[in-house]
Amino acid sequence: MGRLLRLPLYLAALTMLVPFYWMAAAAFKPVPELTRNPPSFVPGDPTLDAFYEPSYDPGVRADQTVAGLFQRYPDVPGGFLRFMGNSLFVAATITVLSLLIAALAAYALTKMDLPGRRAIFVVVVASMMIPWQVTLVPNYLIVRNLEWLNSYQGYIVPALAKAFVVFFLVQYMRSIPDDLVHAARVDGAGEFRIWWRVVMPLMRPALAAMAILVVLAEWNNFLWPLIIVQDDTMANVPVALSRLNASNAFNPNNMAVIMAASLLTSLPTVIFFLAFQKHFTRGIALSGIKG
Amino acid sequence: MLLPFAGLFLGFLIWPLLNALYFAFTDFNGVTPPSWTGLDNFRRLWFEDPRFRTALVNSLIYVTCTVTLSTVASLALAVAFRGTSWRDRVLRTIFFLPSVTSTIAVMLIWRWIFSGERFGLANTVLSWFGADPVSWLSTPRWTVPLLVIMAVWGGCGYGMVIFVSGLNAIPDELYEAARLDGATDWQQFRHITLPQLKPVTTYVVITGLIGAFQVFEAVYIVFRGVSSVGGVQDGGLMLVPYLYDLGFTRFQLGYASAIAWTLFLIIFVISMIQLRVTRALREW
Repeated sequence: MGRLLRLPLYLAALTMLVPFYWMAAAAFKPVPELTRNPPSFVPGDPTLDAFYEPSYDPGVRADQTVAGLFQRYPDVPGGFLRFMGNSLFVAATITVLSLLIAALAAYALTKMDLPGRRAIFVVVVASMMIPWQVTLVPNYLIVRNLEWLNSYQGYIVPALAKAFVVFFLVQYMRSIPDDLVHAARVDGAGEFRIWWRVVMPLMRPALAAMAILVVLAEWNNFLWPLIIVQDDTMANVPVALSRLNASNAFNPNNMAVIMAASLLTSLPTVIFFLAFQKHFTRGIALSGIKG
Repeated sequence: MLLPFAGLFLGFLIWPLLNALYFAFTDFNGVTPPSWTGLDNFRRLWFEDPRFRTALVNSLIYVTCTVTLSTVASLALAVAFRGTSWRDRVLRTIFFLPSVTSTIAVMLIWRWIFSGERFGLANTVLSWFGADPVSWLSTPRWTVPLLVIMAVWGGCGYGMVIFVSGLNAIPDELYEAARLDGATDWQQFRHITLPQLKPVTTYVVITGLIGAFQVFEAVYIVFRGVSSVGGVQDGGLMLVPYLYDLGFTRFQLGYASAIAWTLFLIIFVISMIQLRVTRALREW
């Protein structure tokens, strides 16, 4: 049966790649070629104009020259790189902080004699079924009242409590023998010291798997930034992409620029994924099997 | 040590959840204080609002098709490419790529592919068969099918990874015994693989359902109409886009909260079914 199934699936794999190929090809096409009919499958005259167009002059309006990606956003210091920086900073901060917070909570729930810790764990697990969009309106109001709209705090703080990460780390932490913790307590170590020095090093595989899932989710996060970002300077890449699209949707000449931006947005995550593939699939697999 | 998590958890999840419930019973525009209107929002939503009905019906069709197709596709992919050879690994990577690519970037690519002009890729392929170009994005009839195609393309790799690990957890002895008894490949699949995969399948289906009910980006980026986020004639309007439209472009925050809680209830019911099914499977 394997053989029979495979042939059409190889074809499917090829078609899977078509959208990616189409994006990459479009990003290197010169303007007139973009709207050629029928379209060209290989850029006949590949160009970097979509990234930087040397003959572009903002004072002159011409049909055939459009600003390259890095020439846009004259009001934003750093231009498109600023959005990548925003995304990177927000994703990295949320990942580090939310993992630390979740690991602390997991330690308290598995290794300390907390009254009612079973009940707390049940509430945390139950909360995983709350679709986060339900909290969208109230969280928007909270962030607005704190005057955190358009700020990094607005991005970061509401995203820090991740019930799923706590659940996952608790499951993993249960496999660490309590005797280790008891021995450290007998030696006079404080709880924070035991957590950081004894338990955390043993948690490395679980933390790595979660870190990768969280980084990617936050890099690609869209709806929340869409709501709290008002000023271009604070946009992350997905919001910047969507605005680029909205303001150029009806002009096909800008399509190469949009595809170039999409390419630059996707490349880091793809490279990141290829580098950490093993941890990545393990994280997903573990979450699936235990669910 | 529980405090940082507990504080953030209560402040940005539980408290907002309860707040949303309160707003759902009020008329609230975000500026003047909410005024209590009782069940009025829900009555309007469930009995009088044609746009909500469109959103709900679209969601149900979309969710059913997406989950069915991508579960079958990811199971087939997992069975075909479960091995450890380099060829299987490369193919698994290819199918997984959409899951790591920025959703917005992916949606912009689809928008370009389904462009209504002759230079759109989809219309070019059609023209090879002598067909006339279709204006894909502005034909309401096409909206949900296109969304399903995009979702299956983007989601089958994720399910595949879970199925692969499920397949690898099935003991080899079962297959060896079956082969000794002369079972065909199909019989082995039917009587060993499928039953053994039941818990994993349940997980994939349920998380798929929950995820599909929350779709937003695809509708917002690919089908955004001139005056609403639902696409032409609301052909692609679904629950979260409608929530966004009412809450953040029309500032009917109370009404939007009623939609939010409706979404929560739907997902709550699905999760309850999952709990039941997993428990039943464990005993079975």
